[in-house]
Amino acid sequence: MPSRCDVEPEAKRAKTELTERFERDALPLLPGMYSAAFRLTRNASDAEDLLQETFLRAYRGFHQFQEGTNLKAWLYRILTNTFINSYRKKQREPLTISDDEVEDWYLYSKMREEGLEPSAEATVLESLPDEDVQEALSSLPEQFRVAVLLADVEGFSYKEIAEITAVPIGTVMSRLHRGRKALERRLWDVVRERGLVRD
Amino acid sequence: MSEISCDEVLHEIEHYLHGELGQQQSSRLATHLEGCGPCFERAEFQRKLKEIVRDKCRCETPEHVVLRIQQAIRLEGEFE
Ligand SMILES: [Zn+2]
Repeated sequence: MPSRCDVEPEAKRAKTELTERFERDALPLLPGMYSAAFRLTRNASDAEDLLQETFLRAYRGFHQFQEGTNLKAWLYRILTNTFINSYRKKQREPLTISDDEVEDWYLYSKMREEGLEPSAEATVLESLPDEDVQEALSSLPEQFRVAVLLADVEGFSYKEIAEITAVPIGTVMSRLHRGRKALERRLWDVVRERGLVRD
Repeated sequence: MSEISCDEVLHEIEHYLHGELGQQQSSRLATHLEGCGPCFERAEFQRKLKEIVRDKCRCETPEHVVLRIQQAIRLEGEFE
């Protein structure tokens, strides 16, 4: 009686090839995806689980991935979907950013009012603890957090973000604009709380 | 090449800094920024801010997590 492996050598070979391709193309992107998982879940253990589930799903669905298309965007799409479906805290998080949180040149103007010189502005922002900036980003309502994360931390283009989050590009631009402005406001709060400018 | 106003530059700076403008519009902004101090200062501030947010929010996947996930995928491949 032939062993199970001998029954379907073709299928087995295809599977090995797929696994090799996954290890060669997808796994090298894993080290760079932790910040996104962490910013979304806001804690280390959920971030690890989310990443693992993302890669397992990607592996199982890898035969559907079209070689030559954007693998990184594909993985981030799975990450984002997995987060939304399984990890999102069903809590009373605000969903929107109010209009008065969206003011052009907010942070720039505030720093100018403090009499800071252009060179000193960057120094003040650089002196913010990493955790504070991460928390400011994480505190944005989900849609806006995802948009700013994908654009300004992960470096995706508007078009890629539209694909990853499955919304029109105009929506991406509007979320980004509002998200970035709200982030400036939260960063300014941190600058003040940390006493980095005289109040 | 047509002129571009400070208002238009400041309105589009966000897209400019993200590399989202077409080549022509992008070089119009670049030319304006070279010649306009106030716009240049704001653009630099915004560019620096973007850089700081990126640098402070990025971190690598810890080695033990990478290993754990590699292992999980290997198991998945073997026992499916
Ligand atoms: Zn100008």
